[in-house]
Order: sequence, then structure tokens, then C-alpha cells
Amino acid sequence: MGLVALGAALAIGLAAIGPGIGQGIAASKALEGMARQPEAAGILRTNMILAFAFMESLSIYGLVIAFLLFAKI
Amino acid sequence: MTKSMMASLNQYGITDGMVTSLVITILLTILAIVAGRKMQTVPGRFQNVMELSIGKLYDFFEGIMGKTLCRQYFPIVATLFIYILLCNYVGLLPGSGVLPGVKAPTSSLNCTAAMAIFVFFMTTIVGLRAHRGPSYFKHLFKPFAFLFPLMLIEMFVRPLSLSMRLYGNVFGEETVTEQFFEMVPIGLPVIMQLLSVLMGLVQALVFSLLTAIYFTEAGELEEGEELTEHA
Repeated sequence: MGLVALGAALAIGLAAIGPGIGQGIAASKALEGMARQPEAAGILRTNMILAFAFMESLSIYGLVIAFLLFAKI
Repeated sequence: MTKSMMASLNQYGITDGMVTSLVITILLTILAIVAGRKMQTVPGRFQNVMELSIGKLYDFFEGIMGKTLCRQYFPIVATLFIYILLCNYVGLLPGSGVLPGVKAPTSSLNCTAAMAIFVFFMTTIVGLRAHRGPSYFKHLFKPFAFLFPLMLIEMFVRPLSLSMRLYGNVFGEETVTEQFFEMVPIGLPVIMQLLSVLMGLVQALVFSLLTAIYFTEAGELEEGEELTEHA
């Protein structure tokens, strides 16, 4: 039972690292682009949110696994 | 709606989320009927608001889907957006999840999976209509024929990730708010609620945006193919 709890914590914890780094890089580049070319801000923002969604889904998979394990405790 | 009524409904497999979803659907239908009943060339205040919001949404999706496809499939995409937005925002109401019959429908995998499966089949229909027949499935063998298994997997993973993303976000956010509320009842949950106002909008946008992009991908014709535009 203790190991299951640890597994649930690790699942969401580890799954948050990668997307966190990735979204940081993506956001920094997108903001850079927006500052350089304010007229392109609209399309950049849309694409940034879209890219975030794909990265975020990785983290969400971890979250779902964590919930599945959490129900087992 | 009383607690005992809801409990007897639960016995027949009707969950709180389904009741909320039904109420949202009825409200949206009434709003749409009222807004579209007496349309005038010079719009009144109410009609102006509705026209402006739908117009903004139309411009946004037109930029992604292109003129022809947006004209055809804007109603589906926009309906998904508005419905998911309202579903997410039900979770912000005071007493949601506690009061009988009030619960964000999107915090259940059933609701999101239903929408994702609908989008999956609709994408195929869009592709078949645009290509006028089964030549649509040729895209599975491009750019190389040996990538076919990968393309097939990609096709079937789409509804999975689409439903999991929405469900995980809404359900996770609600669980976190609940945990915060148990730890610190004053102050902290309000910040989380403010964040979830933003999150509800972003998730609704992401779902409809991805739907729009899937439709565009299916409906676009390859170079060299005959352009068969039909409204």
C-alpha cells in the first residue's frame, strides 16, 4: 500500500517535469517573437496555446495514472 | 432538485453531470431560439451582443480552417466550444459537486469521451465528403507506405488524448481546489478558482481548436488533386 502511494506521487511528479521545461522554452520563444513582431501576436498566441495543449497532455497522462493508483490506496 | 430525487435518479444510472449537461443544453437551445427568432436588419441590443460574439468566434475559426471549410463546419466547432465552456464553468458555481444535480459534466470521462468519439467519426466524414469517396484514406499511406502502422496509431490515439486532456484538466483542477479547501478554507481556494476561470476557457478553446485542425487536415486536398469545392 505504501508503494502504491509512492507510485502515484511519482507518476504525477515525474510527468510534470518534462512538460514544465518544454512549456517554459515554448513560452519564452513565443513571447520573444511577440515582442519582436507585435503584429504577429495573434497567430503566435493561438499556436502557443495549441503547442501547450500537446505538451500538457503528457502531464495529464501522468495525472490520470496517479488518480488510478490513488483509488487503489 | 432534492437529494432523494437525485439519489433515485442515480439508481437508474443518471448521474449529476448528466442532469447539469441537460440543463445547459436546454438553456443554450432557448437562448439560440430567442436570439434567432426576430432578427432585424438593424439589430437591437440583445441581437447585437449575440452577433458580435458569434462573429468574433467565426473570424477566429476562419483564420484556422479557411473560408470553405469554416462555412461548412463552423456550427459544429462553435457548438463544442460554447458547450464545453459552460460545462467547465459549472464547476465554479458555489456548491457544485455538493449540491445534488450540480457538477461539471466535463469532470467525468464519459462526457469527454463521447465528444471525442463524435469528433473522430466526424473527421472521417469530413474527409470522405471533401475527397468525394474513399480516396481520403490514401493519406494513411503518405508520405511513405511503410509508415502506415504509425499513421493508424496516430488516428486512433487522437480521441484518446482529446478526451483525456479535457477530463484530466477539469477533474484535476476540481480535486486540487477541494484539497486546498480542506487545508486552508479561506483565501487559497479563491486564487485557485481565479486560475480555473482561465483554465476553463483555455481547455474549451483547445478542444475546439484541435477539432478545427483535424477537420482542416481531413478536408484539405493534396496538390494535384482536383479541386471540388462545394458549399
